[in-house]
Amino acid sequence: MQVKIGIFLCDCGGSLRNIDFPKIRGNLEKLEGVAFVDISHNLCLEEGGKALASRILSEDINRVVIAACSPELCEHNFMRLLESLRLNPNFLSIANIREQCSWAHKEDVTGKALELLRMAINKARLLQPLERKEVPVNQEVLVVGGGFSGMESTLELSQLGLRATLVEKGSALGGKLSELEGFYGLGASPKEMLGSMTRAIEEGKNIEVLTSAEVTRVEGEVGNFTVRIRRGGEEFPRSFGAIIFATGYRAGILPRDFELRPSVNIISQRNLIEILQAPEKLERKPETIGFILDVSDESSRLATLLVLNNALAVKEKWGSEAYVFCRNLKVDSDGAEKLYREARATGIAFLKFEKKPQISEEDGRVKVEAKDVLLGEEISLSCDILVVEEKGLPPEGTEALSSILNIGLDSQGFYQNENVYLYPVDSGRKGIFLVGACRGDLDISRASMDVASAVMGVCELLASGKAIVEAEKVRVDPDKCRACLTCIRVCPHGAIRLVRVNTEKEVAQIYDLACEGCGICAAICPAKAIDFEGYTDEQILAEVEAIGE
Amino acid sequence: MIVAERKPLEEIKEMIAGYKRILIVGCGTCVTICWAGGEKEVGILSSQLRLAFGKDGNELLTSEVTIERQCEREMVEELRDKVQEVEAILSLGCGAGVQTIAEVFEETPVYPALNTKFVGMPEREGVWVETCRACGDCLLGETGGICPVVRCAKGLLNGPCGGTKRGKCEVDPEKDCAWTLIYRRLEKQGRLDLMRKYYPPRNFQAVTRPGKVEALQA
Amino acid sequence: MGGNNKIVAFCCENSACAAADRAGKIRLYYPDNVRVIRVPCAGRVDVLHILKAFEKGADGVLVMGCQEEACRHLTGNTRARERVKYAEILLKESGIDGERVRMVNLAPEMAHKFAQEVSEMTERLKGLGPTPIKNGGPQR
Ligand SMILES: Cc1cc2nc3c(=O)[nH]c(=O)nc-3n(C[C@H](O)[C@H](O)[C@H](O)COP(=O)(O)OP(=O)(O)OC[C@H]3O[C@@H](n4cnc5c(N)ncnc54)[C@H](O)[C@@H]3O)c2cc1C
Ligand code: SF4
Ligand code: SF4
Ligand code: SF4
Ligand code: SF4
Repeated sequence: MQVKIGIFLCDCGGSLRNIDFPKIRGNLEKLEGVAFVDISHNLCLEEGGKALASRILSEDINRVVIAACSPELCEHNFMRLLESLRLNPNFLSIANIREQCSWAHKEDVTGKALELLRMAINKARLLQPLERKEVPVNQEVLVVGGGFSGMESTLELSQLGLRATLVEKGSALGGKLSELEGFYGLGASPKEMLGSMTRAIEEGKNIEVLTSAEVTRVEGEVGNFTVRIRRGGEEFPRSFGAIIFATGYRAGILPRDFELRPSVNIISQRNLIEILQAPEKLERKPETIGFILDVSDESSRLATLLVLNNALAVKEKWGSEAYVFCRNLKVDSDGAEKLYREARATGIAFLKFEKKPQISEEDGRVKVEAKDVLLGEEISLSCDILVVEEKGLPPEGTEALSSILNIGLDSQGFYQNENVYLYPVDSGRKGIFLVGACRGDLDISRASMDVASAVMGVCELLASGKAIVEAEKVRVDPDKCRACLTCIRVCPHGAIRLVRVNTEKEVAQIYDLACEGCGICAAICPAKAIDFEGYTDEQILAEVEAIGE
Repeated sequence: MIVAERKPLEEIKEMIAGYKRILIVGCGTCVTICWAGGEKEVGILSSQLRLAFGKDGNELLTSEVTIERQCEREMVEELRDKVQEVEAILSLGCGAGVQTIAEVFEETPVYPALNTKFVGMPEREGVWVETCRACGDCLLGETGGICPVVRCAKGLLNGPCGGTKRGKCEVDPEKDCAWTLIYRRLEKQGRLDLMRKYYPPRNFQAVTRPGKVEALQA
Repeated sequence: MGGNNKIVAFCCENSACAAADRAGKIRLYYPDNVRVIRVPCAGRVDVLHILKAFEKGADGVLVMGCQEEACRHLTGNTRARERVKYAEILLKESGIDGERVRMVNLAPEMAHKFAQEVSEMTERLKGLGPTPIKNGGPQR
């Protein structure tokens, strides 16, 4: 098809005065393949758009070059306009002569504007049509992890009419809900809550629960994951459109933080909860109990909650004296501030240190020496029991799962999720969501928010049963691909896989729906087998070529 | 596969000094996969050369082509027309590739742009390690599929030396002791009796092993 | 192109393009020798694009992407950083000053940083003088 370019210059209501538009027109009209150069004052308004449309139709052009404001502002609208004229929306190339030219410089910038236009024209000549196509998506959802977050996700999905399969590693549902006695920020006790959620799941529609089961492999992409599940001795494949991970966390003590050996007198929060639940284990009531928090500098939301809970509990059950040594209290979770006030009101003492306290054991008691920065005094406390803080650690198998999923981990071994461009529950791979405590230090109210956003994300992808994609925008040329696997290893969104084309040849293939269009693969392929329409090597270099012509 | 590494530009420049028209030939197989001699690397070298020559005010006409396998005469034969237009050929194939081109086009000088390093496999993206020294007398069947010739720093064939310590090698404590790995593997297979098998000495020259190539690009 | 300290700036459309737009919007008036080439992510930029920009006469190249640890495509900006380093090595091998190429990390609202980086590169290029490459050299 002969390239026939129509050029529209917009002077933004006559406000771009440091550009000589007629001069530019004169210059561009002579270029090969240019059908016309129009000057408009208001391309973005209805009137301007109509004029543009009628010119495109009457001159029968097949490439549109627009010099106007930033493409971030206008590109989308012009693409839709082209589409309405039955011209492929990819046949559009925009020169930003406003923000990045007229507005950015004081002096006359006709020369620069002309160059920006030549760049856009050079690119326009090479543009290829992109077709949009509909792909079916599987509407079943896999939820991994049967704690609060996993159960809540399952329930919400089923209420929205999506079929959910809940896979739990343990023999029963509940996660932390079944382990913990007292919970704050909830109307009900964890046990009651677990009871009602379990019932709802049993009665719920479209729900399948697999306990004592684990995920061993995840293949494919959004809309079409193939997951291998192991249960008992057997392993079987299942297909899902999306996956929600709610694998929670495991509470643990970091020994390097304490340099302490747990003993009868130095115990973990978990030990204390056990004793609280079965007081007969105790020979006599402890009179003085110390709690210690933030020995390493990161203060944790959940550790704070736990200490507050437990300090209150020992006060209530045994009437013991309770002292909390801490660096900072993180009370930003629901109800934590209230809890803290309650603790102070019942006479629990809070001591704030900056330098790590000295801890020693003598005569069956534990001595804690610290400098309180508020009192400015050295304090020495001898207590019957010292309860050390617990940290949230990633559950066992997180590393293995992350490599199955091709998702990164943060420095603490939790799933990576801190990225300003991603929603917190996004994993970086489309269709895979991370919710609840598997993302780190989250309480129930935050876990519920996660669940809500993940379920919304799933609906967006799967609710209609199909998705619209730009087909082969990023494409591997099967003849050039050497199956070196580089692109598969580097794609940050896990959108590429190896497919077999015949008995002896395998090549990389990009899954349109999962591809987020970053071009990392195209830049790295050692065989130059990947093309990214709109940003092919040729198109980028054609732009470079126009500079300073 | 064969793992190779690009030579420094300085050396390549010296080799082709004086020529005005050269053909740069990539190989689409092993060296493409190890990021040393595929279409992309051909482009980089060619661009670098044009810049370097242009800077000195010298003219250099480069044409670029990448073929399926340089170590096949028939495939190299396809280059005939292109070769007729140039004074010299710069090959980004392994040593076998360079030699095949030289054999097919006897009148045209061929220069290697790569140093061929070893037979290996990717350790992770951009890093390749040596796994076979092509010793010509493969004993993998008796060593649990772990090659002592390459993966033992000393190339020992009859069990570990006295320097093995907690599974690590005394030459480089970062590296695993190959013989510990072999022991473990054979243990898993219930074939520990193989540890007793004796291999007469072979003659290996002093070389650092296993070799490793790390790409500079990302 | 040649002369005039021409800078080619490969700009990520998630961050640097917005920063450049903003710099115009708030009239920061930076040198007009820069030409922005929009890319979907700094990770789209190949060393070959950088080398060829110099072949075609650019005096300097900027690769501009998202802030460290905040790439829309997770690893695009770190790859871009490594590639810029690699391009520096390749350019030096060819006798072209490695200072002519630079990686810049910025957030969409960092208009000042955009303008400042362009100005700094312009100054640097004035110091270095035009590249020794006349006009693209002989092409294949
Ligand atoms: C001691 C303690 C006290 C707390 N107190 C409070 C409080 O007072 N108020 C509050 O709001 N929050 C509190 N929390 C936090 C609260 O427990 C969590 O926010 C919440 O339970 C998180 O739920 P979850 O479903 O994300 O994780 P979990 O409850 O940890 O559930 C994870 C589930 O996933 C399963 N699993 C893990 N890996 C796999 C796998 N690979 N395959 C299949 N299944 C897997 C586990 O077996 C488990 O059942 C406390 C936490 C602790 C540890
Ligand atoms: S990087 Fe290129 S050659 Fe390698 S598998 Fe991907 S498309 Fe094929
Ligand atoms: S463009 Fe980016 S997201 Fe798409 S396949 Fe390539 S690397 Fe993956
Ligand atoms: S020439 Fe060398 S690099 Fe190329 S295919 Fe043959 S053995 Fe592999
Ligand atoms: S013994 Fe080792 S070096 Fe020799 S052929 Fe086998 S793998 Fe290669």
